[in-house]
Amino acid sequence: MPLTVELGAVRFAYGASPVLEGADLELEAGEFVVLAGHNGSGKSTLLKLCLGLLRSQAGTVRVLGGSPEDPAVRRRIGYAPQGLRVVTSIPVSVDEVVTAGLTPVRPMIRRIPDEDSRIASALKAVGMEDLAHECLFELSGGQQQRTILARALVADPPLLLLDEPTTGIDQSLRPRLAAELRARADRGATVLAVSHDPDDFHAVLDRILVIADGRIRQMSHDQFHAHFDVS
Amino acid sequence: MSSFTASFAVRAYIAVAAVGLTAPIIGSFLVQRRLALIGDGIGHLAFAGVAIGVALSIAPVCGALATAILGALALERLRTKGRIAGDLALAFVFYGALASALVLLSLRHRLDASAIGVLFGNPYVASWNDVITIVVLCAVVVATIVPFYPQLLAVALDEETARAAGLPVDALNLLTVTLTALLVAAGMRVVGLLLIASLLVIPIAAGSRLAHSFRRTISWGVAFGIASCIGGLLFALGQGNVHPGGTMVLAAIAGFVAAAFAGRRAARRHPRQTGS
Repeated sequence: MPLTVELGAVRFAYGASPVLEGADLELEAGEFVVLAGHNGSGKSTLLKLCLGLLRSQAGTVRVLGGSPEDPAVRRRIGYAPQGLRVVTSIPVSVDEVVTAGLTPVRPMIRRIPDEDSRIASALKAVGMEDLAHECLFELSGGQQQRTILARALVADPPLLLLDEPTTGIDQSLRPRLAAELRARADRGATVLAVSHDPDDFHAVLDRILVIADGRIRQMSHDQFHAHFDVS
Repeated sequence: MSSFTASFAVRAYIAVAAVGLTAPIIGSFLVQRRLALIGDGIGHLAFAGVAIGVALSIAPVCGALATAILGALALERLRTKGRIAGDLALAFVFYGALASALVLLSLRHRLDASAIGVLFGNPYVASWNDVITIVVLCAVVVATIVPFYPQLLAVALDEETARAAGLPVDALNLLTVTLTALLVAAGMRVVGLLLIASLLVIPIAAGSRLAHSFRRTISWGVAFGIASCIGGLLFALGQGNVHPGGTMVLAAIAGFVAAAFAGRRAARRHPRQTGS
């Protein structure tokens, strides 16, 4: 399978505080991987390097066969940041937020031919089909998080980078989301989900990767629990 | 002939309606990004441009337009490069531009009622050329926003995610402040440079009390913008000696209060049910 994410000996520091030191990572198309680690270990930093929002100070970062700083590459990534980043000055509806996920792939003025069905499909994938026209800020934190996930899914991108995607989402809904992400991976997308608790995805994921001491290591589910003592 | 139907009043209706329609559209993106006061800063810049126009004997609107656009671009660059805090950058622009304008005008012995008049505007003295200039500038603003609406909305909702998605965020931000500068230049003759920013903000704030989506907020904002401009103008015309710039802004504030009251009543009648 082709590689979708390639990090080679990546180094990144915030000022004098190193976060990644010689980090290596290879993800293939169709993989569903959870990236775990302690707070401040560099999980979100790694996602931002893959998105071109941060630049590595040493080493190489290649995404979807190109540089993450290339807008054409970025347009093919679905990104769900941690927490709600949408600012709150003006009411905004759920479908407006999800539609923003199509903007990078949308031609000027014209709509994508199947735009409405794509939006409906993304909302259905996260169980929000009945709330499309609701105001985002009148919804619960879990519903807002699912809206942000739908925005990442709506363009059906070949690479999904999700930062703590289950934050605030009810436990009963998490298996449905995990199954949806698995289905995307089975169709060829790469899913990289940052999560402090891989148990949310245990039944469907391919690998658990852990960032510790600036490097990335693969762990089994049991090794993860032994290491983090969360079971 | 009644003052309500006199030719100066007809010109004033057209001019203020154009500004009342356009200001909330561009204002929506400023309010969403918490840049509501940037219109004020650009207004001060435009006043410096008027002074430069007087000093160089060119049309004040040309000086205002050039200075507002260049200043707005510089302000946005200062803000995004993070070399200076947003509010501090605005403060420097506010007071530096105002002080420069006063010095320039007084050096040219032109610190008179006509120069001070652009701070508060007067739609009654707008000529047909002024009206055409205002309508054209407003049309340019609206015609530019329409094709870029999805991109501008994506940036206004979440700048980092828009950048991560490959959208040209810096260029879209520069476009936003440039269009704001055009609107300020358009509105200076009729609403005044000190009051034009209020029309960028207050009608949209009123619309946000009644709507549940961004698009609906703009629709309500445009309705409030036109209604407050025309309503304020009619009130001033009826009173005879009341400044129309002031009545238009007070009408917008009255609209906001009414919208806030109506929005709270609607929320009490139809509380929304949400789950987890």
